Amino acid sequence: MSAMEYAKELDLRNLPCPMPVVKISKGIKEVAVGQIVKAVTTDPGALTDFPAWAKTSGNQIVETQEASGEVRFFIKRLK
Amino acid sequence: MEASLRDELVRLFDTKLSRQMLLNLETCSRCGLCTPACHAYASMPLPKYAPAFRAEVVRRIYKRYFTALGRFAPVLGEAKPLTDAALEELREAAYSCTGCRRCMVYCPFGIDTQQIMSIAKLLLIGAEAAPEILSLLADVSISKGESIETFKEGFLQGIKRLETQVVARWKVEAGTTPIPTEVEGADMLYVALAGAHSIIPAAVVFNAARENWTLSFFEAVNFGAFVGDPGKTQLILDRIVREALRLGVKEVCICECGTAVRVAKQLSGTQPFRVVSLTEVHARYLREGRIRVKKLPGSHTYHDPCQIARNGGVYDEPRAILGRIVEDFREMSPDPKYNWCCGGGGGLVAMGEDTLDFRMRSSRVKADQIRESRADVVVTACENCHTQLENINAHYGLGKEVKFLSSLLADALVAP
Ligand code: SF4
Ligand code: SF4
Repeated sequence: MSAMEYAKELDLRNLPCPMPVVKISKGIKEVAVGQIVKAVTTDPGALTDFPAWAKTSGNQIVETQEASGEVRFFIKRLK
Repeated sequence: MEASLRDELVRLFDTKLSRQMLLNLETCSRCGLCTPACHAYASMPLPKYAPAFRAEVVRRIYKRYFTALGRFAPVLGEAKPLTDAALEELREAAYSCTGCRRCMVYCPFGIDTQQIMSIAKLLLIGAEAAPEILSLLADVSISKGESIETFKEGFLQGIKRLETQVVARWKVEAGTTPIPTEVEGADMLYVALAGAHSIIPAAVVFNAARENWTLSFFEAVNFGAFVGDPGKTQLILDRIVREALRLGVKEVCICECGTAVRVAKQLSGTQPFRVVSLTEVHARYLREGRIRVKKLPGSHTYHDPCQIARNGGVYDEPRAILGRIVEDFREMSPDPKYNWCCGGGGGLVAMGEDTLDFRMRSSRVKADQIRESRADVVVTACENCHTQLENINAHYGLGKEVKFLSSLLADALVAP
């Protein structure tokens, strides 16, 4: 598992619906285009929500890592 | 505002003018009985938070474009044209109303302010002035429905990871999958939310009751309804309807999400399955002796989610459950029909911190009601309400614990 550079980290573990998507939508706007946000979540639904959110909002999931019950998304701001 | 946009908004307005809506728009006698019934007004007595005032913002536009006097003599009477300022008023009216319908219970004509606000929300969508985050959330749900095959694998992996937590709380028989998915011919399709907290306790109780169930790939919540877009609401719901038909289930059980329950019950149409809330299913298990429970210590009260209780008629079931699983139950309101709204509905909680200040100021009466119940634990059966109650608890320093009813029931289970 390579170490990925990122500009901002968001802890989205154990949040109620729909806060993971609300917070990533805000968080991505706080980095420059081309920069990466790391988002850590425990939601099983996030594994479908985040790819669908990236597709809808026009951003890119560059890497997904799973470890110790957590999922880490590395998302590049594209616009 | 450009004339073409105004014409389009008038056309959208026209699509909402059902017979029921015309009654709502033409009947108000301005008696004011609804005024103190709204938690926003009761907590902050400003005219703009009175239900009839909100309705009037829409009604005046109706008068301008849909009545003879408004069309031919717009300067007479109270007609108001659609302008940018009018859009701002519509936004303020619609997004300070949670759609709780408490005002309707007090109105002698049964005027439905929530329904009138649905016109305001539709006009805001037409003018591209609806809250961006709610539109995005709705689009994410629709996108998931369109390409579920792409996302399926990830979801199944996530679900597998939860199974040990289910088994730790309720041992399943050998050969039983703790969280089944894609089971054709299952009796029940359970539609949860993204978070583990909406899946684990439900799965524990289903296993204890030996339910023949299967978990949906989709989340129950309907952001199309929050933003007030009828087309998106239906598209989001249709994903679940199609899945239920494909699997051939007899029942679709919606998790503790008030809007999801109301939308699925009211808009699924005539289907070979019936739609029920998780609370109704749990009450049935207890009634039929399918699960055994013990009584939990501590004083508990129940917050009726507006979309499940006032707007869905589910009042008795949560009380039947609590009567069996807690030693000390205290009502918040002498009549549950009049229970105050938590102040988080209508998309306000989903808009996150942007609405927090308003949500807290408008829920003062709810905080008082919780405090006066003198219960240690506030129980509810809706994700939105739960989040808002947690916020109220912290903001007003109530020192309570907020719990989901399903989670409490899972805690109360005992082996047969
Ligand atoms: S539906 Fe609820 S929030 Fe909206 S005006 Fe009526 S009482 Fe107030
Ligand atoms: S109670 Fe009904 S009739 Fe009276 S002001 Fe309110 S909406 Fe109008």
